[in-house]
Amino acid sequence: MIVEMKNIIKSFGSNKVLKDVSLKLKGGEICALIGENGAGKSTLMNILGGVCKMDSGAIYLDGKKVDFDTPAQSLNAGIAFIHQELNLINDLPVYENMFLGRELKNKRGRLDLERMIYETEEVFKQMNVDLDPKIMVRDLDASYKQIVEICRAMMMNASIIIMDEPTTSLTEPEIKRVFSMMRMLKERGVGIIFISHKLNEVMEICERYIVLRDGCLVAEGNVSEVTTDDLARFMVGYDVRTERLSRDKNLGNEVLRLEKLTHETAYRDISLSVRAGEILGVTGLLGDGRSELFQSVFGAESILSGKIFLEREEIRINSTTQALDKGIGYLPRNRKENGIIKDMNILENASIVTWPLFAKRGVIDWIRHRKIFKKQVKELRIKMGKSTDSIDSLSGGNQQKVVLAKWLSANPKLLILDNPTQGVDVGAKEDIYDIILNLAKENIAVVVLSSEAQEVVRICDRALVMYHGVIQGEVSKETMNEHDIMRLATGGKLD
Amino acid sequence: MNDTKGKNKRSFFEWFQDRWIAEPLFSTAIVLLLIIVLQTIVLGFDYDSIGSWFSSWLNNWINILRNNAGIGIISLGMTFVIISGGIDLAVGSTSVAIGAVIMMLIDNGPKGILANMGITGLPAFIIAIILGVGLGYGLGTGIGILITKGKIPPFIATLGAMKIFRSLTQHFMQGYNPTVPREFLQIANFKIGKFMLMPIIYWAVIAYILYYVSKRTVFGRQVIAVGSNEKAAKLSGVNVEKVKTGVYSLMGVLVAIATIIQVSRIGSMDFANAGSGYEMDAIAAAVVGGTSMSGGRGTILGTVFGMLIIAVMNNLLNLFGVPPFLREAFKGLIVVCAVLLQKKEKA
Repeated sequence: MIVEMKNIIKSFGSNKVLKDVSLKLKGGEICALIGENGAGKSTLMNILGGVCKMDSGAIYLDGKKVDFDTPAQSLNAGIAFIHQELNLINDLPVYENMFLGRELKNKRGRLDLERMIYETEEVFKQMNVDLDPKIMVRDLDASYKQIVEICRAMMMNASIIIMDEPTTSLTEPEIKRVFSMMRMLKERGVGIIFISHKLNEVMEICERYIVLRDGCLVAEGNVSEVTTDDLARFMVGYDVRTERLSRDKNLGNEVLRLEKLTHETAYRDISLSVRAGEILGVTGLLGDGRSELFQSVFGAESILSGKIFLEREEIRINSTTQALDKGIGYLPRNRKENGIIKDMNILENASIVTWPLFAKRGVIDWIRHRKIFKKQVKELRIKMGKSTDSIDSLSGGNQQKVVLAKWLSANPKLLILDNPTQGVDVGAKEDIYDIILNLAKENIAVVVLSSEAQEVVRICDRALVMYHGVIQGEVSKETMNEHDIMRLATGGKLD
Repeated sequence: MNDTKGKNKRSFFEWFQDRWIAEPLFSTAIVLLLIIVLQTIVLGFDYDSIGSWFSSWLNNWINILRNNAGIGIISLGMTFVIISGGIDLAVGSTSVAIGAVIMMLIDNGPKGILANMGITGLPAFIIAIILGVGLGYGLGTGIGILITKGKIPPFIATLGAMKIFRSLTQHFMQGYNPTVPREFLQIANFKIGKFMLMPIIYWAVIAYILYYVSKRTVFGRQVIAVGSNEKAAKLSGVNVEKVKTGVYSLMGVLVAIATIIQVSRIGSMDFANAGSGYEMDAIAAAVVGGTSMSGGRGTILGTVFGMLIIAVMNNLLNLFGVPPFLREAFKGLIVVCAVLLQKKEKA
């Protein structure tokens, strides 16, 4: 089967996510779809998988125009989408998962368990999978869950399979297992679109690549003709869109030092230090462990071993309340889930951190909070109505500034900003960069966790690049560039 | 002319609809008002005999308020619990446990604990009240620790506590019926002028204090933050475990106060049945008053209104002569209707 997507355009609100993208995939080939976060990969595949509708453009299967309104339609046409967060039900056995939504019934309307088990066994036999259909999905390791999803797609006669970052949560041997399965599918004439951030894997398994950047297709071709460096360059783009932001640097004493910090799963052996007035960037791709690392520093994640020093004194932090008392602030990623509290108004959201600090005998000092916030509205250029309006009434950028404001009034020594410009428009992004530079000028040690290499290059003095829970390398201001960062983030080394 | 009038009418209707949906306090206040008007009519409002009408109206109201003061106080605590994202099914059993302890302490029969130690009268009452409130605080805190440290869902933890407290109380109080000294009854039955207003005053004072706590104190606002978005609250440095435990401690203290009022109002306690159904009545009052079962939203004033709606409705059914077994059905109907009319979370 040949899939063709032609001139696909899609926007969410005023945000143009896909600007005229066309691609073609033949059966029997594995094609990598790569790009930075927000480049439009997922949206493009969601359109092909019937999850969302395109604004304009067309999809052709074997030259015939098709229209997908729902995932079911796309699946019936032979396109299976295996999402990153797998669509399996942990508490059901494998065979019931295989038939989820299309359960086989016998004449009396009861579930025909025997036939479901039998047919699952048949598919597994065909695919050379050694797995008991009666086992619970919960008891499978991550790679077998992927494999069950792939087998399910095969059972429905899928001829195109989209795999969204299938290897992020897998270990080396598990990845090998999934790859050998993918090779077998390829031999049977199935086309696979492989979305991944790991360029080494792209080199290993794919023969073609397609690179998206800012909603445009910027490069495509045969993998054998390029190197991972080339791919990294395509993803970032040659043109550095904006200049680096500079400031008078005045580094003070060491504020934070980590020694061999290790987490149960997310990261290991992390040693680093940050000085007052310094902006340290920490970057990497999905699953690199940087968020968990700094949530540990903030007391929201536990650590297995290692030491944390704050101003040269070893500290143990067991809760976020303690971290706050010690002068550590943390602006979380995913503002909606972790940042804003929707049942509280703007002022409350902007002051929750400092309630206990300014309170007299447990009574909140609203007058003081209102005064501080009034100043912050001006300084941070927050656009809003009344301070008692709902937090939902603000745009994403202004919500982010409010969340930032709650930490600024606590006067932290160390401020950790996790994806500070996530879901923020261009203007507010520049405002937030200004705020970050100002914080450093005021001698606060700032750690910026970011998935955007460009952001790190623009505002950080130096940056650590993480890959699968370890620090893969360090780059510093003078020599820092997006290309090097991307190379480290995808598991490469600097020469 | 007609046109503009129509427009005005429509916009008033729209305004009304908006407020109704947006503010649970507004809708409950209106419902309460309607029910009170209905009650006034049922009591036979008549211009000529306004004096006697007023005195029967007033007596009826004092009765309603006094009878519901205990559960009204518990429903205020329940509001905090539900806002924090939890639930407390153990309030009724906590109440009998506390009641039993207080009654054993102040018993002026041969088995009375304090009486046997030679402490009687006011000092005995003060000791009993302090120990009773302390016990409520302890039991509540215990439940809170079970929920936060033990990571047991509130429903399960309090279900367990409900069974344990009731069973232990019944077992140890078998065949023992303490007599409450007559002076103790003064706590609830002291007359101001011709009226026994004390329970109403306790309820009003506690409602005011809790209103202040919920609006002005760090604890009160943190309860809302935790109930609305626990993760964001935690990442803002809020000590989530302390806040959640505190909510159940507060509940325990309020149950103790309600129990003291109840014991002194009636002078005895049926350890097998007293307090059963409190949890559901308290939850109903909070929910009718606009508290969201998913946490984060709810007000003290709303719960007072909610409690009054249920109480007046009950009174009305009584006045109409509806058979007692049917009344519960009406109660259930009110709760369901109240939630039907409230703002729904968008999916």
